[in-house]
Amino acid sequence: MSREQDMTEHVVEFTNVSKTYNFGQPDAFTAIQNVTFSVSDLPDRGEFVAVLGPSGCGKSTVLRLIAGLAPQHPATTGTVLVQGQPVVAPGADRGMVFQDYTSFDNRSVLDNVAFGLECQGVAKAERHERAREWIAKVGLNVSTDAAKYPHELSGGMRQRVAIARTLILRPQIILMDEPFGALDPHTRMQMQDLLVSLWNEVQATVFFVTHSIEEAVYLGDRVFILSRSPGTLLHQIEVEPPNRPAMEMQQEAGFQKTVYSIRRILEDLESGQDS
Amino acid sequence: MNTEEQNNSEGSEQSTEDVTAPVTEQPAATEPRFQLFELRKQIPQWLAVLAGIASILLCAGIWYFVTAGPGEERVLGHSQLPSIGETVELLPTVWDSEAPERHLWDNTIKSLTRVVIGFALAVAVGIPIGIACGCFPLCRSFFAPLVLFGRNIPIAALIPLLLAMFQTGELQKYMFIFVACVAFIVADTIDAIADVAQRYVETALTLGAARLQIVFKVLVPLAMPTVFNSLRVMFGLAFGYIMLVEFMHEGDGAGGLGFLLNIARRRGITEYTVIIILTIPIVAWMIDQMLYVIQCWLFPWKYSKEAKRSLAYRVSERIIRLFWKRKVA
Repeated sequence: MSREQDMTEHVVEFTNVSKTYNFGQPDAFTAIQNVTFSVSDLPDRGEFVAVLGPSGCGKSTVLRLIAGLAPQHPATTGTVLVQGQPVVAPGADRGMVFQDYTSFDNRSVLDNVAFGLECQGVAKAERHERAREWIAKVGLNVSTDAAKYPHELSGGMRQRVAIARTLILRPQIILMDEPFGALDPHTRMQMQDLLVSLWNEVQATVFFVTHSIEEAVYLGDRVFILSRSPGTLLHQIEVEPPNRPAMEMQQEAGFQKTVYSIRRILEDLESGQDS
Repeated sequence: MNTEEQNNSEGSEQSTEDVTAPVTEQPAATEPRFQLFELRKQIPQWLAVLAGIASILLCAGIWYFVTAGPGEERVLGHSQLPSIGETVELLPTVWDSEAPERHLWDNTIKSLTRVVIGFALAVAVGIPIGIACGCFPLCRSFFAPLVLFGRNIPIAALIPLLLAMFQTGELQKYMFIFVACVAFIVADTIDAIADVAQRYVETALTLGAARLQIVFKVLVPLAMPTVFNSLRVMFGLAFGYIMLVEFMHEGDGAGGLGFLLNIARRRGITEYTVIIILTIPIVAWMIDQMLYVIQCWLFPWKYSKEAKRSLAYRVSERIIRLFWKRKVA
C-alpha cells in the first residue's frame, strides 16, 4: 500500500545511497555516503532543489546518479529511484545542463536546439519550427542567432542554447550542474531570472548544483546542504520561492539573513567542525 | 586589414614604452616604436614577406658561391651541383616536345594520379575502420596488432613484397601508397574520435540519443576536422613515398617524378635533378593549400575565423563568387 503510494508520489528517491570508487581496494574513495532524500512532484509546479556543499563533496555525484551517467552510476549501495523505477541508463526524461559549454560545435544554434527532436525522428520542418520557438523563449534572436555556430556565441548565449536544447524535450527532471558557474555576475542574474520564468512554464523538478549561496537561496524551494567528503545530506532548508526579479529579491533583509545562516553552516563545514 | 595593422602597432608601442620612455613623455609614446625581435608578437606582413625572401636569397647566395667560377675552381663540381645559370638554361627543355615521356608536367600529373588513387583507397578503408575502432574498444583491440605492424614497418621494406605480388604495373603503385598510408589513417582517426570530449557524449545521452546516433551525429562530425588535418599531412608524405617506387622502377611505361630523377641521375644531368627537386615542394605546397581551402569550406564552424587570414581561402572565395554570379546571370 505505502509502496504504491511512493511510486506515484516521489519523482526522485534516494535511499542510503553511497558511491565508492575502487571498492575494496587500497585506493578506495567514497564520494557520497548514506544519502537519503525524496522529492515529490508538487502538482502543476515541480520542485526546485538547490544543492550546496563544500568543494568536492559529491554534489555532482548526486546529479549524475539521477542522470544515470557513468562512472558515478551505478551507486555502490542503496537505491536511486526516479518515478518509482530504478535508474538504468541516461534518457531524455532527465535533461542535464553542464557547466562546461557542450554545444555541438558543428551544429548551428537551430540544429543544436533541435538535436533531441532529431534523435526522436521528428521531421525537419517541425523540429526547426519548435526549435525557433525555444530559441526565442530563452531570449535569443531567432533571425540573427539561429544560424550562428557556437564559436560565435558568448558564454551566456551558449548556456541559453543548452537550456533551450534541454527544455524543448519537456523533461520531467532537469539536472543543472553549476550551469552559470563560468558566467560573470551580471549575466548570471539575467540567467537566473530567465530560468525562473522558464521553470514556471515547464513545471519540472529541478536539481541545481551551485557554489553560490545567493543563487541557491534565490532559485530554490529547498536547499540541500551536503557535508564534506564523503558527502552526506546534512540539512534540507525550505526557502522562499523566487517570485521577484533576482536583483530585487537578493537585496532584501530576509533573503540576506537566510544566506548568512547558510554561509555560517558551510563555513563550519569547510573548517571541519561538523555539527 | 588597416585596422589590424593599427592595432598591432598600438600593441607594440605599449609594451616597449615602459622600458625606454619616461611616463611624462606622452608624444613619444604615440609614435609607433619598432622592435625587430618582439616575443611572440605578430610582425607586419611586408616584413614577414621580406624575411621569407631573405631566406631564399641566402640559399641562392650559397648555391651561387659553391658553384661559381669555371669548371675546376668550383667548390662543388658540375657533376655534383650545377650552377644557377646552367639550371635556368635547361629549364625550357623540361617541356621539350621531342621527348614527351620526360616532360616534367606530364610526369608530375602521373605521380599525382597514382598518389590520389592509392590515397583515396586508403581513406575509403581506413576512416570507417578508424571510426569503428575509436567508438568501440572491441574493434580497437581487434585492429591493434595490424595498426601496430602497419605503423612500424619501414615503407621501403614493402617494395620487394609488393613487386612480387603486383609486378611493376600501376596497381603496384596504388597498393604501395595504400599500404603505406592506411595504418596511419586508421590510427589518426582513432585518436581524433578519442579526443572528442566525453561531455559531448554525456550531453547527447541526456538528450536521448541512441548509441549509433551518438556515433554519427556527435563523435564523427566533431572528429572530422582533426581527421582531415592529419589526412593533409599524410597526403604530403604519400606524395614523397611515390617517388620511392618510381625511382626503383626501370624499363618502359614507368614514368613519374621518381622515374625522371632516376633518368637524370643515370645520364648525369644534374640540372634536371635540381629542377625536379625544386618542383616537388612547390607542387606539394600547392596541393596542401588546396586541401586547406577545402578544409575551410567543409568545416566552416571551425575554420571560419582562421580562413579569412589565409590568402588561398580568400582567392577561392573570389573564384566561387565569380562562378556564382555567372550562374545567376
